[in-house]
Amino acid sequence: MDNKEKTIELIIANKKLAFQNQEKEKRAHELVSANKELAFQKKEKDKRAAELLLANKELAYQNEQKDKRAAELVLANEELAYQNEQKDKRAAELILANEELAYQKELKKKRASELSNSNKEVDDLEKRVKERTEDLESFSYSVSHDLRTPLRAINGYAKMLEEDYGTVLDAEGLRFLGEVRSNANKMGVLIDDLLTFSRLGRKGITKSTVDMNMLLETVLSALNQSMTHNAEIKFSNLLLAVADYNLLQHVLTNLLLNAIKYSSKKEKPMIEIKSEQKNGEIIYSISDNGVGFDMQYGNKLFGVFQRLHDDEEFSGNGVGLAIVKRIIDKHDGNVWAVGKEGQGATFYFSLPDNDK
Amino acid sequence: MENNNVEILLIEDNKNDAELAIRAFRKANLNNHLIHLKNGVEALEFLFGTGKFDVRDISKKPKVILLDLKMPKLNGLEVLAQIKANEQTKAIPVVVLTSSKEHPDIKRAYALGANSYIVKPVEFDDFSKVVTDLGFYWLLKNQPHV
Repeated sequence: MDNKEKTIELIIANKKLAFQNQEKEKRAHELVSANKELAFQKKEKDKRAAELLLANKELAYQNEQKDKRAAELVLANEELAYQNEQKDKRAAELILANEELAYQKELKKKRASELSNSNKEVDDLEKRVKERTEDLESFSYSVSHDLRTPLRAINGYAKMLEEDYGTVLDAEGLRFLGEVRSNANKMGVLIDDLLTFSRLGRKGITKSTVDMNMLLETVLSALNQSMTHNAEIKFSNLLLAVADYNLLQHVLTNLLLNAIKYSSKKEKPMIEIKSEQKNGEIIYSISDNGVGFDMQYGNKLFGVFQRLHDDEEFSGNGVGLAIVKRIIDKHDGNVWAVGKEGQGATFYFSLPDNDK
Repeated sequence: MENNNVEILLIEDNKNDAELAIRAFRKANLNNHLIHLKNGVEALEFLFGTGKFDVRDISKKPKVILLDLKMPKLNGLEVLAQIKANEQTKAIPVVVLTSSKEHPDIKRAYALGANSYIVKPVEFDDFSKVVTDLGFYWLLKNQPHV
């Protein structure tokens, strides 16, 4: 081989070598790159591994939480079940309550209709009472007028007989005439008392402050003018009363007349009027040392036409104390009496104490 | 008695009450000029000069009229109303006499112009006294309007 050829060959070989070197370098380079890539990938893998670890831990945590939640859910379910049960129970109770309400509503309706019925009854009753009262008033008037007129005639003609023909009558005749007149008078008083009694039921009262000492003086001087008696009557410093003046005068007159009457057979009749303040009331008392009464019949004292003594012994018509009771009732007070046969009696009446 | 010289005009339907009243007036010597009429119709005829009293001189007036309330036909309140509504008669004193203080018409009597309202007592002595007293008062003590 010639040189040239050799040279060419060499060149070619060189070129090949150079190429191979180049390739080798390229490969080395690629290897470096691949290494670098590998290293990078390993790093990535490590990173992933770390991430996975973290993720696992998270998963474990989340599992734990899930279990916890599941437990909580179980509890919550139990609670829900309980509450459902309660709800059912409540619903049942509500149904009962509704039924009860419906029943009570019906009852209320029934009651309302009953009430309106009984209101109507009350109205009817009131109307009837009013009518009856009017009847009673006109009856009172008739009684008063129609009975008094013939009585006045009986009385008047008996008196005329006595005046004009007294001289031709003997003592017994005159006595008969006297009986006629005194009985006619008694009947007149009885009619008046009964009318007073019935009028008191209808009339209202007008209260004022009454000086009982002065009122008693007035009553006593009127009594002393109309009758003679030998009773010693004592009173002093009586408490003020708040009452209807005229009615109170009636009460005092009546009680004093009784005290005088029922002590009149004593040698020294004594009457004492006292007053005291007690439990929001003012209590007045009129005591006498007369015949007294049996407490067994005490409740009859204040009834109309009720008497504890016969007319022979002590005259009276049994209306006086009934009037007293009616007057005191009208003042929201009480009347009562304490006594013993042969040992005097004390009559009490109380009036509300207006200072209390 | 002459109808033109009447001092007391008693209007009363009950003959017993009238007799008792007249007796009481007579005992007090007050009955000389008294006329008793038995009902409200007669009373108004007397006062206004009509009917059987059409010849009466109505300028001659009684000093007092005693008027019962409960009378048939024209009752006392109706008579009173007519007396007090008439110029000629309204100045004559009218004393209303009744048996009862229960009378629901006491107020009406006064509202109509009654000058007095008296309850006739049952007891004759009291009745006599009331009648005598009111006779003395209206005839002798009271100064008449004219």
